[in-house]
Amino acid sequence: MTSVVKLIRRFVGILVLSMFLLFIVNVVILLAVASTQTPGIGPWTTAQETEAGLQKTEAGYTLSDEMTKMLKDKDAWAVYIDNDTSKVLWHTENLPSEIPMQYTIADISSLTRGYLADYPTYTAGSENGLVVVGFPKDRYWKHISPSWDYDFIRNSPYIALAAIGINVAVVLLIYVTANTKLLRSVRPIADGIQALPTKTPLYVKEKGLLSDLAKDINRTADILQSQRRDLRKKEAARADWISGVSHDIRTPLSMVMGYAGQLEDAPELSEDDRRKAAIIRQQSVKMKNLVNDLNLASKLEYNMQPLRSEQVNMAAVARQCAADFMNADISGKYPLEWKAQENLPSCVVRGDKTLLGRALNNLLNNAQTHNPDGCHIAMGFQVEEDACCIAIEDDGVGIPEEKLEKLKNTPHYMMNDSGADEPRHGLGLLIVQQIIKVHHGEVRFSSGADGGLRVEIRLPLFSEKKRYA
Amino acid sequence: MMEQYYLKQKKILLVDDEKEILDMITDFLSRDGYTQIRTAGTVKDALRTAEEWGAELAVLDVMLPDGDGFSLFERMRGFTEIPVLFLTARGEDEDRIRGLGLGADDYMVKPFLPKELLLRIGIILRRYYKAEDPAVKLAGCRIDLARAEVVKNGEHLPLTAKEHEILSVLYRNAGRIVTIDQLCEAAWGENPFGYENSLMAHIRRIREKIEANPSKPVSLITVRGLGYKLVLEGRR
Repeated sequence: MTSVVKLIRRFVGILVLSMFLLFIVNVVILLAVASTQTPGIGPWTTAQETEAGLQKTEAGYTLSDEMTKMLKDKDAWAVYIDNDTSKVLWHTENLPSEIPMQYTIADISSLTRGYLADYPTYTAGSENGLVVVGFPKDRYWKHISPSWDYDFIRNSPYIALAAIGINVAVVLLIYVTANTKLLRSVRPIADGIQALPTKTPLYVKEKGLLSDLAKDINRTADILQSQRRDLRKKEAARADWISGVSHDIRTPLSMVMGYAGQLEDAPELSEDDRRKAAIIRQQSVKMKNLVNDLNLASKLEYNMQPLRSEQVNMAAVARQCAADFMNADISGKYPLEWKAQENLPSCVVRGDKTLLGRALNNLLNNAQTHNPDGCHIAMGFQVEEDACCIAIEDDGVGIPEEKLEKLKNTPHYMMNDSGADEPRHGLGLLIVQQIIKVHHGEVRFSSGADGGLRVEIRLPLFSEKKRYA
Repeated sequence: MMEQYYLKQKKILLVDDEKEILDMITDFLSRDGYTQIRTAGTVKDALRTAEEWGAELAVLDVMLPDGDGFSLFERMRGFTEIPVLFLTARGEDEDRIRGLGLGADDYMVKPFLPKELLLRIGIILRRYYKAEDPAVKLAGCRIDLARAEVVKNGEHLPLTAKEHEILSVLYRNAGRIVTIDQLCEAAWGENPFGYENSLMAHIRRIREKIEANPSKPVSLITVRGLGYKLVLEGRR
């Protein structure tokens, strides 16, 4: 929307600027033309020069040769009227016959302002009379009554300004009216372009001046939509594929696990053979966990894990995970210390209880997997104003700095490029990240005080206020 | 043990469409001493066997050639109340919840460890077909859960309903930590928020009844911040 406003502003700016420039250019041209027109021998000047060139001699009046020639060139005639008698005392030889030889004062007044027998006439007063020069009828046009109201002349600057202002306003009005139609067709197109990156389907009406553009936008939107659909389909296919594989592998794996477990306890086998059976059983358990993790990770990755959202007391979930872990640790190699205030208040978060428990279990199991010789695990639980913080820290081998960095920057299981020979620190912790992410929480990995791994989880608390906000 | 022997006579029906799995579980069960085992590969078979034979426990697969285990379970419920354990390759949580929500007694996902399956079957059988509640022997007393009383130094101390609930849960999980939340839920039901102080009061009263020295408990042990653990006599 802002871009349309910008566009309008820019257009109006250009228009105003061009009007201003046009005005300046006009004034300059007018001045230039006028200045070439006025100077030199205007008709009044000719009359004055004629008066100056008229000499009184004993034989009457004579005009200088120079002026005689000039009048002749202009095809003009001249008379000299005496003050006392109002009679013509002198005239040029080419005086038209209809020019009278005797004048009244009214005649004089009339010819001064305008014409004498349709000849444009100009006067120049001398000591004892008046010189009148007449030009051919088609030579000059005279304005006979050039009189204006005094106020009009006095206010002329304002009037000029007002006139210019009204002109500008009228031009703008015409412009805006003319452009509204254009803008009206630009707006849906601008809206359409702005809506392109969003996921909502879009259709711009293919009408008006810019229907071609609208068509193009609609085509682009269609292409984007179908690409999104294809991508989604591909993702779904991949998740389905992983889910299918993980399903199909369960039955054969059951057989491997089952019979290996049986052989492990078979008294007729040698100690060595039973140990081998135990290894087969242990490894198939690992495979089972891996398959489960892979399936969950791919579903979380493509947002296909249906999230059961309910109110979960996170303190209870954490306590259950800690108790389960302690109950399962028969060897006592992984003592777990629960660090939380006495009488923890219930910490309600909104989310999927199973998944949240899964995240905490993954962290505890991770500590176990990576410290086969045992380690001390501390599980802290803190309640803050709008979040609960769970920190799980071990004093085991930990993770080297560069892998820690990698862990922080691996948003995607498929992008995990750690080689096959490296033990994968990935999937279990990645699932933790994914689970916490879908619950709008944060996970932070760092090195613990005793060199082990420290993982902090922050989950926003559910509040009634937020729900109604 | 007498009780064990009695339970091993129970009729167990295994339903799965994979013959290998049926063979394997049959093998495990017979090696563990179970003598009455039958198998079925279809819903039809399973229903007939369950009804005619009178199975006393069923292990059901969810995916069957002529239907799914959930509907089989519901149809079985039409004529019998025997305990059911789902054993399935579908590990999705919603399936798990659905299975348990229908009233199944347990739910296991393939692949599984034979020992775990046997253990769970044993637990379900004991729960359903217990001859009588056993007397729980603790360091300083004996608890008779069936009569809801504690026998300490020849003296009979009755248990309240809540104390009985709490002790039953602890006994079922003897030797394992049971969280505060689990105990509250057992005693006060769904949404047991905010009963922790009441729970502590009940635990104190239970200790007075069962411990030789209630301020230094040896049978009902606190796991700080998490929950409680019942220690049977002679175990740690």
